[in-house]
Amino acid sequence: MSPTELPQGLSAADFLPLERRDHAQGISRPSRSYWQDAWARLRRNRRALASLWIIVGLLAFALVGPALWRVDPARQDIDQISQGPLADRSATVVAPYAAWNGQAAAGYENGSGLRLAQAGNSQAVRLIWDAVPEASALRLYRNIFPVEADMAFGLPIAEFASGAAGFYEDRLDLRPGTYHYSLVALNADRSLSTRYEVLEVEVARVITLDEVRARALVPETTVLAEGDAVNLALHPLGTDYLGRDMLARLMAGARVSLFIGIVAPVLYVLLGVLYGSTAGFLGGRVDQWMMRFADFVVALPFLLFMILFQVVFGIGPGESGIAPMLAALVLLAWPATARLVRGQILQIRHQAYISASRLLGAPDWYLVLRHMIPNTLGVILVTLTFAVPSAIFTEAFLSFIGMGVAPPTASWGSMSNEGLATMLTHPHELIFPALFISITVLAFNLLGDGLRDALDARMRSLE
Amino acid sequence: MPHSHSSDDSFARSAARPLALFGGAAVLALVLLMFLLDFLAGLASAGGAGTATGVDVERQEITVYLREEPPQLNSMLATDAVSGMVLGHVMEGLLRYDENSQIVPGLAERWEINGTRAVFHLRENARWSNGEPITAADFEYAWKTALDPATASQYAFIFYAIKNAEAANTGSLPVSEVGVRALDARTLEVELEQPVAYFDKLVAFVTYLPVSAAFHRQMGERYGADADTMLYSGPFMLTSWVHGASLRMERNPHYWDQDRVRLNAINAAYITSDSNTLLNLYKDGRIVQVDLSAEMLEGAMQQRWHLDRFMDGSVFFIDFNHRPERVTRNLNLRQAMQLAQNSNELVDRVIKLPGYLPAKSLFPVWLQGVERPLREEYPAPEAPYDVALAREYLERARQELGLTQFPPLVLLADTSPVATISSQYYQEVFKRNLGLDIIIDAQTFQQRLAKMDAGDFDIVLSGWGPDYNDPLTFADLYASWNLNNRGRFASERVDALVRQAQSSTDNAARMAAFGEIQQILFDEVALIGNYERGRVYATDPRVKGILRRVFGAEVDYTNAYIEVAP
Repeated sequence: MSPTELPQGLSAADFLPLERRDHAQGISRPSRSYWQDAWARLRRNRRALASLWIIVGLLAFALVGPALWRVDPARQDIDQISQGPLADRSATVVAPYAAWNGQAAAGYENGSGLRLAQAGNSQAVRLIWDAVPEASALRLYRNIFPVEADMAFGLPIAEFASGAAGFYEDRLDLRPGTYHYSLVALNADRSLSTRYEVLEVEVARVITLDEVRARALVPETTVLAEGDAVNLALHPLGTDYLGRDMLARLMAGARVSLFIGIVAPVLYVLLGVLYGSTAGFLGGRVDQWMMRFADFVVALPFLLFMILFQVVFGIGPGESGIAPMLAALVLLAWPATARLVRGQILQIRHQAYISASRLLGAPDWYLVLRHMIPNTLGVILVTLTFAVPSAIFTEAFLSFIGMGVAPPTASWGSMSNEGLATMLTHPHELIFPALFISITVLAFNLLGDGLRDALDARMRSLE
Repeated sequence: MPHSHSSDDSFARSAARPLALFGGAAVLALVLLMFLLDFLAGLASAGGAGTATGVDVERQEITVYLREEPPQLNSMLATDAVSGMVLGHVMEGLLRYDENSQIVPGLAERWEINGTRAVFHLRENARWSNGEPITAADFEYAWKTALDPATASQYAFIFYAIKNAEAANTGSLPVSEVGVRALDARTLEVELEQPVAYFDKLVAFVTYLPVSAAFHRQMGERYGADADTMLYSGPFMLTSWVHGASLRMERNPHYWDQDRVRLNAINAAYITSDSNTLLNLYKDGRIVQVDLSAEMLEGAMQQRWHLDRFMDGSVFFIDFNHRPERVTRNLNLRQAMQLAQNSNELVDRVIKLPGYLPAKSLFPVWLQGVERPLREEYPAPEAPYDVALAREYLERARQELGLTQFPPLVLLADTSPVATISSQYYQEVFKRNLGLDIIIDAQTFQQRLAKMDAGDFDIVLSGWGPDYNDPLTFADLYASWNLNNRGRFASERVDALVRQAQSSTDNAARMAAFGEIQQILFDEVALIGNYERGRVYATDPRVKGILRRVFGAEVDYTNAYIEVAP
């Protein structure tokens, strides 16, 4: 075989360099970046997407809400204390309250026994009665349930030292509805006798003209006369035990809860990532020492440090404890993230593609930026979304035990605490803040779950 | 890789069935365990012969609760209501209050008070719980020990009516110079500094209780710290005291007036102040009486409980800090705050408990005057609720103080539910009506007192309960020398009137002095009344005769008895 002879089927042209071309290989589908891919997968996860929208909605509730619902969350509407959502709020305008001397009003002069001296309303219920023979004293009771044979008279309102005719004006927390007043004769030893009279009183809600003006219930120009009907201030979600608007308080509370819930985790996850990646990348003795320090921080008690920070920050009583709470969360909660990131970095460091990249001469910064961070980002983001609900929960818990916001500032936690006392009678005061905490925590958890699936680089092979 | 996908799916499908089965089985097992434990618990409590019931008819015992653990039961050192309540059952002094808050003989069968000399004659059958006789020397010893500066009794001032007592307590005279002497075993002679109209009422106070000298010396520091380190003179005696958990009081066989006692034992089995816990205990029939908060009233009416109410005699008010560096020293500011609030609204709309009354004065409505109640003879001056006028006063105060804007005022309050709600109510009222920023400083009761002592407040939600049945127990609160005058209010006229009321035995003149004090305190806005405290409570219908008292034990079970339905 002579050296000039080419093998069969080959020509000299086959040995010329190819012309440079842009596309060495044709790609049939459009290239998608890691993020596009993750987003596409997240979008297919309906739970995660719904959670995302809920979170957007909550942010809007906290940030835009107060601009739309312009009610001062600290303002007390004394006329509507512990009012349920969508309660009837009509009232009749009446004359201002005036002291009463026991005289029956026109139309109420006649009658016997326990009777009304004028129509009962939420300003006052005025009762008069005739002498009760052989009674050494009288006690007046009020009940919201009918008095039956068991003589459960309800609340003891007043006591009178003799059985003589008398009068009494009841102004205690009168709400629209029916009340059953009982006048019971007492025996000489102050025990209840079996002689009593019951009077059923309908109470209508009233308001004075001054109060209408002070609360700005009608426009300045409206002329009102006694007997006109007005509507009390609107509270879509009801009011709390001091008559404060629940909706406005929930919005104000959302700001506190979401601020802590988002700022604290962002800060401490960032700190954890920096710390963990440094430790993991440097490795060896430095890594050992850094991780022992992280273990030490884990052992520090959160509540104690929270109190110490309050002292250090000079937070006096009655001032908001949000700043020390943030500091304590950031300074004490990072080790979990740091450990996670360090583990990831250690793992990635020994991956073949890192070695390959190193072999091709990639510098350290390139390795970190191009290979390590993108590969841990999924873990970091997932940690972040799971850290948010736990921070919100911590805030709620601390405000619940009175270490968070100072009154009158609201937070969901402090609102839950306040609602607890009235749980049985006015459940909406507890249910609403608790519902918001639950929904927020659930939404962040579900989103975190979805993100974990979407951002896991190894899941891409399944597509 | 579609292949791996489908294998994953098939794995999930094949795993689902065993998982569901396992889960179902686990839930079932838990439910069964629950029923089993419930059944076992039922057996156990049936075996325990009903120790957990509030009323034990067979043994004639009742079970009650204490709000907190008594710090100790040494009558010479006791300051708190819970100690007072326990001591009211296990100890009796020379005199005591009856059910109508009138003074009746206790261990003294008779007594004379003539001017500056008082003589008490002890009963022959007065015995300590170990059977030894109670002697006049036991009283002399207790009173002198309480006055000894080394004892550091906070209530030593209650003896100051006695000759040389104040000097002895401040250390300028030996305790032996105090005007108390046991003439013989059954006669106690007291020399007073000056005639005191209400000395018999003072003697019924807890610090005046006897202490067995020999026993106290034997026990030393441990006296009153445990059930067996005390001797008892009252209708009951402490037989067990598990610290932090329970106390048990049993009938004292050596008590002189056995007819008065019908119960064999009072079990203070629960020490808690959590109102919801107590409500549940009452619902379960484990305690015989429970105080209700406003939120519980509706439920109580629904349960058809029989409710009672009681006014505990104390008055609550906003107190001001009159120290020079505080803006609250300015009268116009105080006047503005008085006009900008309405205690009727606080009581009727915010606290909403029957039994509470709006406080219009430092003197509560129940105090007795010359013939009629003091407040009827000297009606309290009332400030109108007038926001416009209040703002005028505020403007005057601002100019006098040379301020462009008022600094935030610190409102000190304790952490009780009513104090919490009141402080938040006032915070908004003063903000809305006067534009004043109020910072709420919520502290425990003890801490609140400490901060008041240190002057670390602008305004404070304070209160005062009476020590004895005389208006002076309230009136001297604003005397410049009174350590309880923590806002340092000072008025020479009030001081003079208090001295007059202390030294005079002319009842009409004393009441006139109280009337004038009431007027001065109003004019100077020394305080803004909030409420007179009441209690609404439910009692087990089988137990009768439980007394609620203003003086002595706040809840008195001494006369209680169990009535079994026929």
